Amino acid sequence: MAAPDSPSAALQRRDLCSRGIRLAGKMRSDVVDLLEAYVERQGLDASASVAAVEGVPVAAAERWDEQTGTQRLLENLAAYRAFRALLAQMLEEQREQLGEADAALGRALAAVLLQVSAFAYHLEELLRLESRGPPSEEAAGPPPASHLSLFERKLRGLGVLRELAQWAVRSTRDLRQLAKPSPGSSSAPSPAESP
Amino acid sequence: QNLKCVTHNLRKMICTWDVSSKGRHGQTDFCYTTNDLPPSMCFKTKEKKVEIPVPESSTTVTITTNSISGTALATKEFEIHKKDISFVPLTPRILSLTPDFSTSTLNLKWSDNGSVFPYGLDAFWQIQILRKEAMEKVTQVTYYSKLTHEDMILSWNWTSDMPLECTSHYVKIRCYINITQFVGPKDWSDWSPVAEVPGKDTEPHGSGVFPEDTVVAVGSDVTICCVHEEGQQIQRMTYGPEIYPMIHLSSRSSAIRVLNASASDTSGTNVVCILSGDEMDGTVLFVGYAPDIPQNISCETSNFLIIKCTWKPGRPSGLYGKRRTKYSLFERISGKNVSCEVNEMNRERVCGFPVLADQKTYDFVLGVSNPIGQTEASHMVDLTQRVHPKTPEKLTVSENSSTSVHLHWFINGSFADIRLLCQIEISSGHSERKLHNVSMPGGKFSVYTAQLNTLQPYTKYQFRVRCAAADHFWRWSDWSRVEEHTTLEA
Repeated sequence: MAAPDSPSAALQRRDLCSRGIRLAGKMRSDVVDLLEAYVERQGLDASASVAAVEGVPVAAAERWDEQTGTQRLLENLAAYRAFRALLAQMLEEQREQLGEADAALGRALAAVLLQVSAFAYHLEELLRLESRGPPSEEAAGPPPASHLSLFERKLRGLGVLRELAQWAVRSTRDLRQLAKPSPGSSSAPSPAESP
Repeated sequence: QNLKCVTHNLRKMICTWDVSSKGRHGQTDFCYTTNDLPPSMCFKTKEKKVEIPVPESSTTVTITTNSISGTALATKEFEIHKKDISFVPLTPRILSLTPDFSTSTLNLKWSDNGSVFPYGLDAFWQIQILRKEAMEKVTQVTYYSKLTHEDMILSWNWTSDMPLECTSHYVKIRCYINITQFVGPKDWSDWSPVAEVPGKDTEPHGSGVFPEDTVVAVGSDVTICCVHEEGQQIQRMTYGPEIYPMIHLSSRSSAIRVLNASASDTSGTNVVCILSGDEMDGTVLFVGYAPDIPQNISCETSNFLIIKCTWKPGRPSGLYGKRRTKYSLFERISGKNVSCEVNEMNRERVCGFPVLADQKTYDFVLGVSNPIGQTEASHMVDLTQRVHPKTPEKLTVSENSSTSVHLHWFINGSFADIRLLCQIEISSGHSERKLHNVSMPGGKFSVYTAQLNTLQPYTKYQFRVRCAAADHFWRWSDWSRVEEHTTLEA
């Protein structure tokens, strides 16, 4: 963070962070449920190892401790924008492949997509608070999946949801870091810790 | 010794002979007389093979073997009769062997070399399919054709029981020509050189599980293979939850054989190939049913604008999304075709077809298809006998007198070509409900009116109306909303 916070900015950031933490917590539990349903509905082996999926941001971060707040927000935003595009692609494929046959899975996928979009918007709000504003969205979305076979797309979906679940955990930790009062600002009760 | 003559075309024959191996020989003097008709033809040859005409009856041959210096060593005379000459067709020439990977079909094309032979001979072609690294024989088929004294290109298809990508497939062919009037021995030609369709397991980085994302009928026997890179091993192959025994095809390809496949889940059945180094590849198999013949087709119109056809789909296909069963309505008289947007999850299927100007009778063919098969059902309908009007709307009551009222209502639709029968239900208080039928000419998006008499003065009534086709009753519309009205005092 460049300049020490004014009390109102700190309060606003802490409020946004705590709401973000709750959003991330809810998203994570929904993603875990969706992951379970996805594995079952797609006939996959829950223990299947999935290679790194092209275009899917990896939650694990090197030197996580040393990241600045802005870096955290930027990385988070980039990830959730990517997930938004990937989930939209998965939803489109779901409709193409299954039509109305598995509407429940489609609805669960759409619900998580909604939460990811909301969380991305929330991150943009936090970045606007940084008075630098969120970066413009890169035109290039995730690589098209059309060249992938159906099985590869199923695995890719598995990889996306697994990584998204990891990201939800990481985002919670990032937001807790962000919520900590920066030096020189009056301390305020730390945000409600979500489980 | 052993003079043998073979003809490939009934006109020329190739004669070969052996020479005792004692000492070194120079050129050979070869003389022959055909059908005992001079002159005798002579020539020298280094080879022990000559091509001479096929005789009508017989040929006399004299072969003189000379030494290197040219002095005659030995002379022998042979009498070759027609019955001694063998007939062996030329080795067939494969023109092309074309794979269709989507259907695992090989198309073989070859020339029948018919111009060499008289018209109308029966030709038999033995075609052998071989497979795998070890070129094991898969099948041998005999194909029959008639020669036409012209070189014809023959074509033959063979569908493999496994995807062509799995391993290399080879084809060779030989032929036998049945010349009844040829008295000598007849034999099969030599096998042609092998034509090959290389499998993915021969490509440097070829890999994958095949067939890829395909659809098969319930009950099918399916061979699914896993092609992997050099140096990798397959640890196991699973079909759905089950591990299957593997069939070795080549050093880079193994297969499993699924017998009597059962219907897959909505997202298909995964076939997974677990490789060494924790790698995995796979494909998805969709196992479903060909479409059932649609049952209980019924078509009607509610507004003379759109014909709505409904039917029962029969057994679900088990295929969804882009593999779902698709429907189309073709009308024979007008030649018009409409594809139907159908929700596969509904028990009943619906499709709309536009009412055509000046056409009363419709001869429908409901076409049904999915990746496994197709079927159809026909249905003829006289539209004027299948009118099911929409619910009457905007029912209003206007006074006329203390014992009569006018009812007005609107029906959405164009009924100008028919008469309508409308039924008005009159109820009040505790008295019994009465039904009053009235028929009237149909109109185009019209308001209709009816007068009710013999009502009680100063009495609260509830009215509602429904309509149908008057001349050919089919179905009542739904009842309109109830409209309440109190008649005037007397």
